[in-house]
Amino acid sequence: MIAPARVDFDGIACEMRDSARAALGGHEPVYAVAPRTPEALAAVLARCDAAGATCVAIGGDTLQSFGNAPARFDVAIHTDLLAGILAYDPRDLTVSVAAGTTLRAFADRLATERQFVPIDAPHTARGTVGGALAVGWVGPRRAAYGRTRDLLIGSQVALADGTLACSGGMVVKNVSGYDTSKLYVGALGTLAIFASANFKCLPLPQARRAIVAPLQDESRTSALAHLRKLSVEPTVTLALDGFDEADLGRNALFLLFEGSEAVVDRATRETRSALGAAGVASASVLDAPQSAFQRVLDAYVAVRATGSLTVRCTGLPTTVDERRFAARSRARDHGCSAETIVDANTGDLIVRFTRPHDLPEIASALLADLRVEMPSATVIAGTPASREAVNAWPNVPPAFAHMRDLKRQFDPHDILAPSRYVGGL
Amino acid sequence: MSLCTDRLLAALGPDSVKTAPEDLASYAYDAYSADHMPSAAVIAQDAREIATAVRIAHECGEPIVPRGGGTGLCGGAVPTSGGVVIATNRMRRILALDIPNRRARVQPGLVNFDLSAAVATHGVFYAPDPSSQKASTIGGNVATNAGGPHCLSYGTTTNHILGLEFVDHHGNLTTHTLDDAGYDLTGALVGSEGTLGMVTAVDVRLMRAPEAVRVCVAAFPNVESASEATSAIIAAGIVPIALEIMDKLITSAVEAHYHAGYPADAGAVLIVEIAGMHDDMDRTENDLARIAREHGALAWRAARDRAERDALWAARKGAAGAIGRIAPNYYIQDACVPRTKLPAVMQAIEAIAADAHVTVGNVFHAGDGNLHPLLIYDRRDRKQVEAIVHAGTEILRTCIAMGGTISGEHGIGYEKRETLSLVFSTDDLAAMARVRATFDPRQLFNPDKIFPSGMTCGEVKAQALA
Repeated sequence: MIAPARVDFDGIACEMRDSARAALGGHEPVYAVAPRTPEALAAVLARCDAAGATCVAIGGDTLQSFGNAPARFDVAIHTDLLAGILAYDPRDLTVSVAAGTTLRAFADRLATERQFVPIDAPHTARGTVGGALAVGWVGPRRAAYGRTRDLLIGSQVALADGTLACSGGMVVKNVSGYDTSKLYVGALGTLAIFASANFKCLPLPQARRAIVAPLQDESRTSALAHLRKLSVEPTVTLALDGFDEADLGRNALFLLFEGSEAVVDRATRETRSALGAAGVASASVLDAPQSAFQRVLDAYVAVRATGSLTVRCTGLPTTVDERRFAARSRARDHGCSAETIVDANTGDLIVRFTRPHDLPEIASALLADLRVEMPSATVIAGTPASREAVNAWPNVPPAFAHMRDLKRQFDPHDILAPSRYVGGL
Repeated sequence: MSLCTDRLLAALGPDSVKTAPEDLASYAYDAYSADHMPSAAVIAQDAREIATAVRIAHECGEPIVPRGGGTGLCGGAVPTSGGVVIATNRMRRILALDIPNRRARVQPGLVNFDLSAAVATHGVFYAPDPSSQKASTIGGNVATNAGGPHCLSYGTTTNHILGLEFVDHHGNLTTHTLDDAGYDLTGALVGSEGTLGMVTAVDVRLMRAPEAVRVCVAAFPNVESASEATSAIIAAGIVPIALEIMDKLITSAVEAHYHAGYPADAGAVLIVEIAGMHDDMDRTENDLARIAREHGALAWRAARDRAERDALWAARKGAAGAIGRIAPNYYIQDACVPRTKLPAVMQAIEAIAADAHVTVGNVFHAGDGNLHPLLIYDRRDRKQVEAIVHAGTEILRTCIAMGGTISGEHGIGYEKRETLSLVFSTDDLAAMARVRATFDPRQLFNPDKIFPSGMTCGEVKAQALA
């Protein structure tokens, strides 16, 4: 048993918090601190590095279900005091935002200028920009607008040794030096902790329309095939089976169209016609498309109180329905139910496995079987006991040796979220 | 011959390994004005040959300089410390084409233009389109994170790369895709200018061809008014597919050479491409034309058909070449500023050029704020050379002072490595050096590029491990 590290935070511009409220994966940290500035964040890391104290950054605590429990957890670093828009001239369509800013506050500020950054993460009222970046959240609109990392044009991070490092800038084209920002996205705080991020903004579309339709098994394949031929491509094409938190009905097709009024009108006409040809008669337009879309995103990480484990399986769009079928078969093999979200645009398959009371006992075997066919299966949510029973990450990728070397370069004393990431990074 | 050359010849044979001075001369330079002879050039047939060449060079401690089409403008492919150039010219195949999923796997030596041409019949295209696209390669584009006029809406190369196969410093072949768990190595490798490894295959994203495309040309009295119109278009929330400016000097040269239909007597022309659904074309064009007129446009017209559109673009992309009609040499700068700073930076460039008694032409990706002043000179006149170097540096300093950066799409290479420290602090550069030290601890992949010369091998390593 390693004794908890002692760290002195005196003289650093930070607020001490209740460490009991920052527990993660059964570990309660010794300290919980909230730095007030990027410099203070860096100073906290420098002290932790010197003391050998391990740190995990906590934003809105909405996506901490990503990743394994840390091997050790001495210091929780809350980022909520690093909040606010740091630089924003809407005429440039670029923005710099502090990492602890909530996604909703960020989106609301951009919306006042009719702009947006499509991060598309769940629980935006609490979830933060830095948190969404750290977990590498990828949303359903990425086929239309790119991944969040594609809109990230610069960042400032605190490194384990207490230095602050910038890359990129506030211009939309930039090849000056390495694009190190991309390395920190999705690194789950194991290489660095975001202090701020700069984004390329997009103009808000003139119109946004959500169409929902019931999708039965007999018409499913035909409907998805017809939708692929639409001249106006939906920015979101999801087929939900279960996930009633989304409030769309048991088996629902959810489409989102964005563009000019004329294009969205045309898309609506074409969609009704395509679905009609596929035998789907009752497509309806939702009154509040944005809030409906947000409910769907929130559902991605919703858990069932009686026991659930949710995984994301990436793959080609053309194979996503086959993977859904296979996932449901594996669920049956292990006596589970499987709810699914099929993303026909990106190829993502989200599967929520449920089994009352004893899911943790079979979760590891279920996941092992699933990963035979879907090696990318990654845990994104679940009840605590189920998550703790499994390795959240798939097998290490082919370039893992380089990732391990990168971790050693950036965090030689292994203080940043040790063992949270794939392969024990 | 050196031990390294002997080993390369023994392993790969004389068809792939060139050592004669007359053969090596072709690999001593790129489109930048510097040249250094390599000790050998490997014209690889496949990924395995690249892996073998890298392993041998690494074991012999020889620099390894990857080379695509040799069109880079900042010396990124120049073997400044000698060593082994590994060229991909022979590796130009499309290895796999997956139209339903809109992706392809290609060899790094495939010429950019050939990719889009090969997939056009399927209704898809590869978006990054640097002006060099008829000669530059996908691998080279990956190395520099190349841009192009259409990156305004579609993004640069990094936004279109789904994964890479690359050879690391040990000579091992490995792969990384964006869907892999773990760090985004693809994101780090794109734009690393061959300093982290050598790419041997590229997974690219293809895009669905738009239903409608329209290219319009507006004539303005001067570059400042065209720049103001550009800033106003972006500020109005309209992001066209491309938004380009050419000044009078460039337009005249281009029109004399290509006869594409540009108004050669205009002080500046703004080229605007919009694409999407038929339903939006008229309304968007009307909005754009209104903003242009509000900022002084003297004339506005849309290309009538595809042939005219193609002619306009061919002339625009051939602008640098057309300058040959009016000057013996030119030095093209590359910098990027926030879009609202365009009018001010254009005025500043004019003043810098006047002070230095240098003639400057401007042809640039205005919508991105990505400037390309062409400084015209005669390299036989030392004073003119000094003047353009001075003016070029002043332009970069001005862009940095306005919140911009020193390269939007050409890269840092050999040319700008000393300038990088004007943009980034020592701590910023040290973080980048950690990445370098991870992938290439001996600093053999493309030495003398990107990092300032003060950051020697030992210093970079010391900073990285400090």
